[in-house]
Amino acid sequence: MHIPDGYLSPATVVATYAVVAPLWVYGFKKLKASLDEETLPLIGALSAMSFVIMMFNIPIPGGTSGHAVGAALISILFNPWIGFISVSLVLLIQAVVFGDGGISTLAANALSMAFVGSFVGYYSFMMCKKYRAAPFFAGWIALVSSSVLTSIFLGIQPIFWTLDGKPLYFPFGLKVTFVALVGSHMLFFGVVEGIFTALVYSFIKKRQKVVVA
Amino acid sequence: MKKRLYIVLFGLAVLIPLGLLSGSPAWGEWDGAYYKKILGFIPKGIQNAKSLNAPLSDYTLGGTNSITGYYLSAFVGIAILFVLFFVLMKIFKARGKSEQSA
Repeated sequence: MHIPDGYLSPATVVATYAVVAPLWVYGFKKLKASLDEETLPLIGALSAMSFVIMMFNIPIPGGTSGHAVGAALISILFNPWIGFISVSLVLLIQAVVFGDGGISTLAANALSMAFVGSFVGYYSFMMCKKYRAAPFFAGWIALVSSSVLTSIFLGIQPIFWTLDGKPLYFPFGLKVTFVALVGSHMLFFGVVEGIFTALVYSFIKKRQKVVVA
Repeated sequence: MKKRLYIVLFGLAVLIPLGLLSGSPAWGEWDGAYYKKILGFIPKGIQNAKSLNAPLSDYTLGGTNSITGYYLSAFVGIAILFVLFFVLMKIFKARGKSEQSA
């Protein structure tokens, strides 16, 4: 889901930065309010976990691969604004240090994987908190929602930006992109994200209750 | 919570070479050669894209094997994240103080 440089038209790049900029400003204010010596090891470890889980590329039928993101987990365990900023910083490091995802497309990637992932994960968890499957469902729907937004960013490119009938940027249309991206995230990577979210959540939360009792 | 988080993080970091099992790229993250093959041309925007010279491009380090490069990448990425949050905390604190004294 890391959109590389050159895949989105300049207009899309400007629009995504315009949308994400105020969200980043507000998110950094939230981070400022909660980042101290006590929370740093927590926020750092959760962000590191997001970075590491994205390195687990999972091969699927059809010759492609994908990975979980971990935004839902940070949001459930800590706070969705911290999830959004943490995953945004992970995406920045991936783009600058590892060439994974573009700089011009950082805003688009942050909106899909970080913002949508964090908030959809958080609110769907809150809504079905009383069910045991809540962490799994939150992780699954968070990643699937992220893939919906990514497929829209990519799929609109050949509709609006062509030259002499040839696409200038990402060439495949909405339908193909939606089926390929959202489908694979519903069936495979979203399930992995759900299992990851549920396992880590229960490992951290349930045992904590036992210790307290 | 912290201790268990670090256990999970450590476990994942140790298992990281499993992430190399897939040789296939992610859907929609192909290089120019793929478009040349499928479409017969490379979309101009993709062909002309300026990309940074990433020091550990594709999570590899030239001259080392892929597992070493992957472990190193994981370590570097985790280290940068912690340093980044530490620096941010210091900046936030310094700014908070100057705001209070102003």
